[in-house]
Amino acid sequence: MGLLSGIEKDAVSELALRKAITVEPSSSVRQVVKQMREGGLGCAIVVADDGKPIGIFNEAMLRHLLIESPAALDGEIQSVMATPFPWVRATDTVETVLEAMETKNSRFVVVLDDDGKPCGLTGQKGLMEYIADYFPGEVMVQRVGTKPIPESREGA
Amino acid sequence: MTSQRDDEFQDPLEDYDPPKYKDPLEEALAEKSVTEIQASPHTVIPADMSVQDAMRKLAGQDIACVMVEEDGRLAGVFSDRDVLDRVALEFDSVKHQPISSVMTTEPVCVYETDSAAAALSVMAVTGYRHVPVVSLDENILGIISPQRLTKFLHKYAQA
Repeated sequence: MGLLSGIEKDAVSELALRKAITVEPSSSVRQVVKQMREGGLGCAIVVADDGKPIGIFNEAMLRHLLIESPAALDGEIQSVMATPFPWVRATDTVETVLEAMETKNSRFVVVLDDDGKPCGLTGQKGLMEYIADYFPGEVMVQRVGTKPIPESREGA
Repeated sequence: MTSQRDDEFQDPLEDYDPPKYKDPLEEALAEKSVTEIQASPHTVIPADMSVQDAMRKLAGQDIACVMVEEDGRLAGVFSDRDVLDRVALEFDSVKHQPISSVMTTEPVCVYETDSAAAALSVMAVTGYRHVPVVSLDENILGIISPQRLTKFLHKYAQA
């Protein structure tokens, strides 16, 4: 199966989903930022008592917050979260992730299970990893650092 | 007059079998260079700019990453992830420090002649979301963001 066919047919659940960070609406922004930092994830999902998502908070929103009103770090996350937010079902196709990222201009897409509860997070990273599997040669030769070409030959 | 040697010449590439692609998207990623992905506008700041001013740049231009230049060379990048990891909870204590103290050094970059798939693979392998594009003599040419790469994918997925 080619890349395009895969994107059109494979389910979102076949992407490498990240474990979502879920927080309560009354959590402080500072606490949420700590959780995002510890989890190494640029997005947190705000969920209601029934476990269903009501908003998201991401790095871009944090950047604006720090410049415009840094005191809001100690406020509740529900006062600064974004709603609506991009989401897909785990059973949707990978194509829907690409469309959600394109139309919503978002790097993160919340993945919901059949009950409408978040079961993971995907987006740019998940999509790139999925596509990179089709280009093993490029993946194998990835360089690290800003000096990809050695300035001198190795060895004698 | 044709010499014996010319008659015997065999093109070493005569049996070359060019790669076959299953769809336009695969072909575009493998055959198009990174320059086919939008890499500008881009913002470059000096390494001694303060953290606060750099963040104002990000917020004012509504971008997630700037490149940091020192001595005419790419010294690092400063992105939303650096804000999360090294600035957000320490903002008051670091806001007047130079950006070089909190930026990501040694960013993985691609050359202008690399394939689009190479830029995508950098994102997939390293986890960096922004990939600077440099010329063969290592001058900064631009930066590939997730949004720009997504537009490229979308364009060829619909071709």
